[in-house]
Amino acid sequence: MKTYFEYSLSTSPFDADIISSFIWELSPEGIVEEETKLIIYSQTKIENEVSELMVSLINKKVIEDFSLDEDELEEKNWNEEWENNLEIIHVSEKIIIKPSNKDYVKSDDQIVITINPKMSFGTGEHQTTKLCLLALDKYVKKNQKVLDVGSGTGVLAIASVLMGAEKSFAVDNDEWCYENGIENSEINSVKEKVTFIIGEINDCQESDFDLVVANIQRNILLQIKNELKKKLKSDGILILSGLLDIDFDIIKPSYEEIGFQFIEKNQMNEWISISFKLM
Amino acid sequence: MAKKITGFIKLQIPAGKANPSPPVGPALGQKGVNIMEFCKQFNARTQGQEGLIIPVVITVFSDKSFTFILKSPPASVLLIKAAKIEKGSAEPNRNKVGKVSKAQVEEIAKLKAPDLTSNDMEHASSMIAGTARSMGIVVED
Repeated sequence: MKTYFEYSLSTSPFDADIISSFIWELSPEGIVEEETKLIIYSQTKIENEVSELMVSLINKKVIEDFSLDEDELEEKNWNEEWENNLEIIHVSEKIIIKPSNKDYVKSDDQIVITINPKMSFGTGEHQTTKLCLLALDKYVKKNQKVLDVGSGTGVLAIASVLMGAEKSFAVDNDEWCYENGIENSEINSVKEKVTFIIGEINDCQESDFDLVVANIQRNILLQIKNELKKKLKSDGILILSGLLDIDFDIIKPSYEEIGFQFIEKNQMNEWISISFKLM
Repeated sequence: MAKKITGFIKLQIPAGKANPSPPVGPALGQKGVNIMEFCKQFNARTQGQEGLIIPVVITVFSDKSFTFILKSPPASVLLIKAAKIEKGSAEPNRNKVGKVSKAQVEEIAKLKAPDLTSNDMEHASSMIAGTARSMGIVVED
């Protein structure tokens, strides 16, 4: 479990923009601006450095005085309060996502995926998850092998198996996601068919996938395009999301250039998914 | 009917690097906001600005939904980037650590204009030039 140092810094006079400008020289993780103080988060102890910096600002006559308090913060599931309010999500008439504390009576032709997200992405609330699920529903065929890159809660890898894939692999470089994905695969009784891998795409040793889905973001999808291509078999389907509409004109030619054929783009609000076939 | 606003959260985080760890996790978590959805949106909207610190103001509504607006990076962060230095001077009067042109100062003033109190570009430029001098960065004509 990671520990963070939390510093509460108030100065007199207090100007958040000016004080935070100097604090960034110490490379913290981030800053919360409050009415009369800054809350600074760092993975390393920087109490002395902040104090020295404030003393130098007193000497430069930027501030007259300051107070600094240090606290330690253990990493936890910060999403817990939001999770308690999660509702059942109808992605389509066929695809339903629900948290484990909610019951849903499904009909024969429905797929119900139970997801407890904790701090992972992929609850079905976000448009990109919905777009990917709808694309999976269209392209996943029985007995296929599916790869989910940037898997978050594992919702796409789990859904692929529930839609008929023989097995799926889910890769994410985040430890929370890795553990959360395994938990969710157990809840959905597909643990034997979904393999979770912590790391990058190349940490997955499997190849010849029938379908690869990656709901990440534009720059990463541009960086890993050749790796995604290597994982697919000829005629394989690639579904990309985590993309804004403005990303389309960048992603489409970039993937066409390395041998993908554009199939379709789908959109919800400003978010899109793009489907390709490997030629 | 318009949704009721229950609070504002002001954060500064590196572009494209929002994640559920602090400060995002505790700040949004205690207000019951979906942390991962915020991270996804923030990272998508700030890609291309890597290396810059982006202030963001998040409006939280009573139904736990949220919207946010991105602000321009702090002036000193932009000045450090423009001067191609790692940090400002501890003794700005005696020890000069870099220089920026007047045109670069005007460019930063334009970028910061929506967030500055001044409506006058000349005044905005002089505020940025003052910040540069307080960091030991020389403004050249």
